Amino acid sequence: MMKLPRRSVLKIGGTGLLGLTLPKLLQASEVSHHRPRAKSVIFLFQWGGPSQLDTFDMKPDAPDGIRSPYRPISSTVPGMPVCELLPRMSQQMHKVTLIRTLTHKMKNHASAGYYAITGHEPPSDDQRLRDSLSLYPAYGSVVDRLAVSNPGVPAFVAYPHVIRDGSIVPGQHASFLGKSHDPLFFQEDPNATGFRLPELSLPADLSVDRLQRRRSLQQLIDQQTRYLDRSEKAIGFDQYYDKALSMLTSDRVRKAFDLSHEPEVLRDAYGHTTYGQSCLLARRLVEAGVKFVTVYFSNSIGGRKIGSGGWDTHGFDNSRMYKIVNKYQLPMTDQTLPTLLIDLENRGLLDETLIVWMGEFGRTPKINKNESRDHWPQCYTALLAGGGVKQGHVHGSSDRYAMYPAEHPVRPDDLAATMFHLLGIDPKTEVYDRANRPLPIAEGETIRDILA
Amino acid sequence: MVYGNGRIHLSVEGTKSLKKSFITMQSIVSSYRTISFLTVCCVAFLLSARGTIAADEFVFERDVMAVLSKAGCNLGTCHGNLRGKGGLSLSLRGQDAAGDFLALTHDLAGRRINRNAADESLMLLKPVAGVPHEGGQRFQVGSLEYTILRDWIRAGSPGPASTSPPVTQLQVTPQHKNIFLPEDSVQLEVIATFDDGTTRDVTRLATYEAENLATRTSANGLVEQDEFGETTIAVRFLNEQLAVRLAFLPPSRSASMALPEPQNYIDRHVFGKLQELQIEPAELVSDSVFVRRAYFDLLGIPPTGQEAQAFANDLHQDKRARLIDELMNRPEFADQWALKWSDLLRNEEKVMDARGVELFHSWIRRSFAEGQPLDEFVRELVAGQGSTYENPPSNYYRPLRDPLSRGETTARLFLGVRLQCAKCHNHPFDHWTQDDYYSWAGVFARVDYEVPENKRQDRLDKNEFVGEQQVIEKMEGEVTNARTGEAATPQFLGGEASAVTPDASRLEQLANWLTSPANKSFSQAQVNRIWFHLLGRGLVEPVDDFRVTNPASHPELLEALADDFVRHRYDVRHLIRRIMMSKTYQLASHGSNDEFATTNYARTMVRRHSAEQLLDAQCQLLGMPSQFNGYAEGIRAGQLPGVLRVRLREKAPSPDDRFLTVFGKPKRLMSCECERSDETTLTQAFYLLGGESLHGRLANSARLKKLAEPTNSSLEIIRELYWSALSRAPANEEMNLFRRQLETQPEEREQIIQDLAWALINSKEFMFRH
Repeated sequence: MMKLPRRSVLKIGGTGLLGLTLPKLLQASEVSHHRPRAKSVIFLFQWGGPSQLDTFDMKPDAPDGIRSPYRPISSTVPGMPVCELLPRMSQQMHKVTLIRTLTHKMKNHASAGYYAITGHEPPSDDQRLRDSLSLYPAYGSVVDRLAVSNPGVPAFVAYPHVIRDGSIVPGQHASFLGKSHDPLFFQEDPNATGFRLPELSLPADLSVDRLQRRRSLQQLIDQQTRYLDRSEKAIGFDQYYDKALSMLTSDRVRKAFDLSHEPEVLRDAYGHTTYGQSCLLARRLVEAGVKFVTVYFSNSIGGRKIGSGGWDTHGFDNSRMYKIVNKYQLPMTDQTLPTLLIDLENRGLLDETLIVWMGEFGRTPKINKNESRDHWPQCYTALLAGGGVKQGHVHGSSDRYAMYPAEHPVRPDDLAATMFHLLGIDPKTEVYDRANRPLPIAEGETIRDILA
Repeated sequence: MVYGNGRIHLSVEGTKSLKKSFITMQSIVSSYRTISFLTVCCVAFLLSARGTIAADEFVFERDVMAVLSKAGCNLGTCHGNLRGKGGLSLSLRGQDAAGDFLALTHDLAGRRINRNAADESLMLLKPVAGVPHEGGQRFQVGSLEYTILRDWIRAGSPGPASTSPPVTQLQVTPQHKNIFLPEDSVQLEVIATFDDGTTRDVTRLATYEAENLATRTSANGLVEQDEFGETTIAVRFLNEQLAVRLAFLPPSRSASMALPEPQNYIDRHVFGKLQELQIEPAELVSDSVFVRRAYFDLLGIPPTGQEAQAFANDLHQDKRARLIDELMNRPEFADQWALKWSDLLRNEEKVMDARGVELFHSWIRRSFAEGQPLDEFVRELVAGQGSTYENPPSNYYRPLRDPLSRGETTARLFLGVRLQCAKCHNHPFDHWTQDDYYSWAGVFARVDYEVPENKRQDRLDKNEFVGEQQVIEKMEGEVTNARTGEAATPQFLGGEASAVTPDASRLEQLANWLTSPANKSFSQAQVNRIWFHLLGRGLVEPVDDFRVTNPASHPELLEALADDFVRHRYDVRHLIRRIMMSKTYQLASHGSNDEFATTNYARTMVRRHSAEQLLDAQCQLLGMPSQFNGYAEGIRAGQLPGVLRVRLREKAPSPDDRFLTVFGKPKRLMSCECERSDETTLTQAFYLLGGESLHGRLANSARLKKLAEPTNSSLEIIRELYWSALSRAPANEEMNLFRRQLETQPEEREQIIQDLAWALINSKEFMFRH
């Protein structure tokens, strides 16, 4: 761009840095009002909706029909008992903050799920909330758009499921921010032997050498149209080839995805489940510099059988919640979550990595006729750890049956603002939708009480 | 009126004696420019235009409201937010003086105002950051803003007066200017005319918002810019706003530029502006670039090798004109426009069902194949009633299930107006009010559906519909205006209040009004869309965002094109021919990609080809059909009527289905060009580098295998591939290198041919329209 000679102007190149266009750089410098407390976030999304009364907000004095059949056990923090099925987790509670008053009004998985993974209230409470570019982007896409990412490493990685309940839940991609902010997403199972990222693997008859040869031929042809090198789009695309090739050929990212580098004993500790190995992979990814990792607990809301699916234990089809969660969801949680916290701490990563564990809603305090619990968005618990949140802390309290917040209600919007704040992104930063309307990335307020 | 800066301006409507006292004041002010004195002037003159000089007669909605806007208090990011900020909620950009008055004087038990010690008022301490203010310091103690607010408080903070005349017009000078170095700034002057005929200089209290990030406008309306280039500045005072266009340019050259001879009026407008801006246009494109452009723009596919060579070998002068006409008569021309309008009309399977999608698509396709005038096409859509199977245009209303979305979509598609802002408040960047919004929606209030049976497969999915529907217009039903809570009187957007006869068919009336030659919004929006399709950028950009504060880059050209279009009975082919024959269309994309030159069409914009175009071009080159779930082999991506025929839960998308998604085929849920993505992404690079869609096709291409046969010389192979892929002969260095590759490694001949094809497919020439 030609400059008026008499003035000094911002000296930021348009396309020099990969993927960082001028507006993005400007944004990035504008939004970092404070030093980030968290370098990365691991968002563990508990699809289906875990019960607050059977995990971290036990109400042992509640009457039959409300009280969990399980007993609370004391933890490393006085006054923070947890469910007796979470004994290993009980030994890590001094590392976490519990928010016991998450509250909203969405009773359907699709709408509540969208709310939980974007922080924005959906336009309607719809069982098949339809995805469109007018809905908000995933947290990680916002981070990809606004945070200064590490070169050569994707900023946002999400796996190993597309969450759906009849239809795909909106909010799992960049939406109106544009495809370039979509997550690096895959559905391959990190627990499978020979797990590899499809993007990072090539067809059998396509060697890296051959790929390099193709690339050099391509560059030769491009020399005939040097004038296209002045198009930002064309250069940008060329840089994507370089980035993709370096991811295919260099070690850094490939290694991050290669779980075989982990000692067997640690892999065992995370548990040989898709979710367990996904959490281990999450640690490797933040180590490699990924800013936002979303691990989906399951692809379906589940809840009717042991061994697959999410937390949606209604007791339908003659299933029974307390014959399932005790054998599947809770043991898996008790194996994986404490291991992740310990592992991060051992590597000195816990301080700079924010863990968020939450579902789209909690479950009804009243046990239903199927001896199970239904959807309950009015009051439920989220667990946070590391990355600048207090340790051994409880924010807010629920009423005597964990039915409604008794004090300090927290909306998903507030949790969103807090996450962005911890990452050093001003939650009031605006992004533009397809109608060019300025929209704040979070409508809530940072929960100051939980900041360390 | 005294608005700081030593600039004093008073209404011309004042009495003689007033004028006299004004002149006296002016001389005094110029000699004693002290704050305290200015304050006296402010108080004394706030209402001087009406001839009364009483200190207590502040006009809240004029003086205080102007300050709230000037200081940015009522922006959407601040207290103008729906939920306010920090406990104070103001109307967005000052639309509701009465509400804002209450918020300032009565909320917080009136704590924002301290009449006894005005300077201690919270509403003054906050904006000067005398107490912590999240929005920072908005103005300084003693500034004009401060003074007006303080004196208003001292005067007893009088509320809005119903007698206060609203602003009826803004006049900004200059309205349009090119500023050549050494001149490097321009002073704007803003005069407001009020309903009672009075005028005043509001330069100091108007707000200025520049579209160009490098532009800075001082509070006094002095505009400077850090880069050469154009900018639009939205100037606003109270409820009125308009746009000023400025261009900051290098020193004026005395010699005039050598411009190409205009081919038609398009070039006269475009080159005329280039002359003014001193931008040299690029040269005209070569035949090989032109033939690609013409094929892609008209048919959505590149020319075959033979077609490209035939065009190159044609020695006739008029071959470009003939090619345009020939191509417009090919069936792919209709495919291309059917695809485009299927995007805009939300033709997708969940809402329309597979059969509906097919029928609607063929109706659109036939309309373009037969050359139906665009006004008739639109008439059939907006007046479309009856069975969605038997009268396909009635599908227009099938995805638009409520009057509000019908109103928004119709405004957007056919008038180029994005109206949704006006749903909750007056449009902040245009003149549309909330009442306009609901009155327009009222036109669609009576559309209804008769639904014999919904055979949806997922009974929980309220979006899904399978089966025939009857679109009907009922005899009753109105829209409730959310602002008044009362039934809105139906009114055309920007039309006369009495134009709609409420009890006749509103859709018929709409169709007549919308497509009438007198409706310039319609013809301009439509030519803008066609221009966008061919040039990559609308004269108004975004293409469906016509508004006061977003003027066209070439307003006269837009009008001329619209007139031409109307005169030629809304003939799409005529307009396309006109545009494509212009030199403007035929300029190369060479040279600096300076935004400034591109937005003025001095050179052609470089764009990535669409998902469908890329896939079809690959398939054509390799002689391999594409495969989409639910379709017989052989249908091209550009011919697909819908989005996804087989539901995802039944079958995973085919590699080609995925290719289209990754490269930005829209889901058709938005009625907006903006839903289609021409972005480039990392995932796309992965898809092309090792993805199964392209890799499989390369490995299995019978055409490549045939080329590899020993009877073909490497010269022939290379030449054939280049003409087929890039519509040109290989350059010498290309030919030499590839020959060497082929001839030194004969055992790898087949692989090398695949690699060459891969390289051609991934070259910028192949991927981008240039």
